[in-house]
Amino acid sequence: MRVLAESPPSIGRSLPLTLPPPRKRGEELERHSTKRDGPPPFALITTIRGVRVLSAVDQAAVLAGLRVGQKATDAKALCPELEAAEAEPEADDAALIALGDWCVRFSPAVASDAPDGLFLDVGGVAHLWGGEESLLSDLRARLAANGLNFRLAIADTPGAAWALAHYGRGPEIIASPGEQAALLADLPPEALRLDAETAAQIGRLGLRRIGQLAELPRAPLARRFGAVTLERLDQALGRSKEALAFRRPPNPWFARLAFAEPISAPDDMARVSFDVAVKLCARLETEGQGGRRFHLAFHGVDGQARPLTIGLALAGRDPTRIAKLFAPKLETVDPGFGIEVVTLAAEDVEPLAGRQVRLDSLLDPDLGLAPLIDRLVNRLGPERVWRTVPVASHIPEQSAAPAPPLSAPLAGVGWDPEQPRPLRLFRKPERLEGVMALTPDDPPRQFLWRRRTHRIRLAEGPERIGAEWWRVAIETVRTDQIRDYYRVEDQDGARFWVFREGLYGLEKPTKWWLHGVFG
Amino acid sequence: MSGFRQERLAALRAKIAGLEAGARPGAGTLPFGDSRIDDSFLGQGLPLGQWHEFVGEGMEIETGAAPAAFAALTAAPLARLGEAVWILRRDDLFAPGLAGLGFPAERLIQVCARDEAEALAVAEDALATEGVSAVFAEVEMVDLVAGRRLQLACEKRGATGFMIRRMPYGGAGRSAATGSAAATRWRISSAPSVPGPGEFGLGAPRWQVNLDRCRAGRPGTWLMEAINAYSYEANHGTHPLRLVAPLGDRQLAPTTPLRLAG
Repeated sequence: MRVLAESPPSIGRSLPLTLPPPRKRGEELERHSTKRDGPPPFALITTIRGVRVLSAVDQAAVLAGLRVGQKATDAKALCPELEAAEAEPEADDAALIALGDWCVRFSPAVASDAPDGLFLDVGGVAHLWGGEESLLSDLRARLAANGLNFRLAIADTPGAAWALAHYGRGPEIIASPGEQAALLADLPPEALRLDAETAAQIGRLGLRRIGQLAELPRAPLARRFGAVTLERLDQALGRSKEALAFRRPPNPWFARLAFAEPISAPDDMARVSFDVAVKLCARLETEGQGGRRFHLAFHGVDGQARPLTIGLALAGRDPTRIAKLFAPKLETVDPGFGIEVVTLAAEDVEPLAGRQVRLDSLLDPDLGLAPLIDRLVNRLGPERVWRTVPVASHIPEQSAAPAPPLSAPLAGVGWDPEQPRPLRLFRKPERLEGVMALTPDDPPRQFLWRRRTHRIRLAEGPERIGAEWWRVAIETVRTDQIRDYYRVEDQDGARFWVFREGLYGLEKPTKWWLHGVFG
Repeated sequence: MSGFRQERLAALRAKIAGLEAGARPGAGTLPFGDSRIDDSFLGQGLPLGQWHEFVGEGMEIETGAAPAAFAALTAAPLARLGEAVWILRRDDLFAPGLAGLGFPAERLIQVCARDEAEALAVAEDALATEGVSAVFAEVEMVDLVAGRRLQLACEKRGATGFMIRRMPYGGAGRSAATGSAAATRWRISSAPSVPGPGEFGLGAPRWQVNLDRCRAGRPGTWLMEAINAYSYEANHGTHPLRLVAPLGDRQLAPTTPLRLAG
């Protein structure tokens, strides 16, 4: 594992480069720098236990003698021209996540190290840039072009990379494989990501360097400074493993195309989405796999990723089909100043045996039913395309359930054709007014529905449908949840499905409802 | 030499005749199995590879149940041959009801479109798909351009479209387009059923069927009945619709009281 850590330098040690958190860089500093010769000191202020303190300071402020943790009133007294703004930790987090998304162009595994750092697993990707040095300088140049002065370090372990990025000398540090111990030895114990209290205790005992700490016997070290200290030391030196929470789990089904010149024409975007699909599908083909979901992302020169997603009804790896499904969505992508990199990732990858294609389907591979379902699902959404399957339930609304359109039909369950069901079933039964029946138990002779009187010629029933008492606690079963359904036909031949709610009783008037119409 | 010329001319004439009839060559027809209705069509049956229009009246403009039931039963033999797609705008089609009438609803693919344009676009897409034999769509109106597009999609694979005109959320029905690209236009309304002798309840569902327009055919009015409705003894071999009675002259039909056979 090779880990690259990015971090703004720790403020408080007077390093040549300092900057406030990501959010303010762009707008605030630029604005200041254009207005005056030297920008005034700038700081962010937060409230800790009722006290207004500085939470971040820029380089000018450091030179003016301000530091993080200072009271805002003290700072103002020390440096009257200080400009201050309220800290917004949520906005900082969002900015860090956006930056992490952008960094996917360098490595598929990016972990964010709140509040102000990022880890990239660059093992196995550095050769794409021609070595770790070139990768670092490219990343640094691109960050600098966006006004971000990060410090970068590459080491074997996240702990070592973090220590070198935060406390190492120089903005770009590469620890050769197996050599981080020598570089770490001179760094202060704080570089081990310890809490302030433990670090202060270590300092009080005269241990100023990690090298001294590493020479101590392990058991007393753990007893005195806590197991966490030992764990952090082991993690930094590669003696124990550390798990990083990558923002996206590394997806092995990933293809990427980078362009020498940014593209923005719709035709070009359609072509590259096909090209990247060809690249990924060739790998899926050789390994006998197929994906059910594909994520296409256009990375623009402005650092924004523009994601698109499609799904397939059956796992597939046909680049033409995949590109066709993306095609209608491409017009929603605003290329901005141009697209530099396009990536495609497959999800829900499952084994897909090289299926024997039918002879007649050889002619045109995207005219079958599965491609139609894919087109419809991607255009309308999965909940709008379905096939109805029977469910063993007496309740009419529950006897039919939507299922994915290409699912295999269930065996053994079917609708009883001798129980007539309406062609249109209303989601909510509609109340019938003016119902006249010969006796309370009879089907209606006449009712009013949608401002029309229907005189009933013929009726059959009742079909008594009750709540499914065997599914619920017996105490909750009530007799008024019973419906007596009648199929009735009016004088014009219109056929309705009406029901009477509850058992007939004298205490309340009977309610009639219309639940559906037969054709 | 002249024999060859004659042969070529005959082949071209046959081709032109096929184009004029507006059908994909060899798309075939779907006979109802009764010469009294099949004689109305040039090919002795409902022409396939084209689209047909079904409209309701009165309450049916909103519920669209009778036209849907009749269209489903007309297309049932077709739906057994391939896939059927039913495009809705209001999701109230109840598959058990279709199955009870004798339509193979277990394999029916249902699509709920968000608006009229989307419903027509999905219908066009489905009609042009291999393996789909029947496409039902509940739409408010099919104008000339949409109708022509549907027709081209039908000709691509020989699928047959069944457009059910319906105002799914109420409102006055839009007037029928004067020049429609549909092969036939049917006006369907429920007709009183007649229970068999000694039986209680309702008889088999009946519809009064008006064939208002028929390209290369004759309009007519009939009374039809579903023969396999609500019974286990469904016979999938025959057409699920039975002609009960022809209703005489078309012009007189609306005023003539129904004469029921048998």
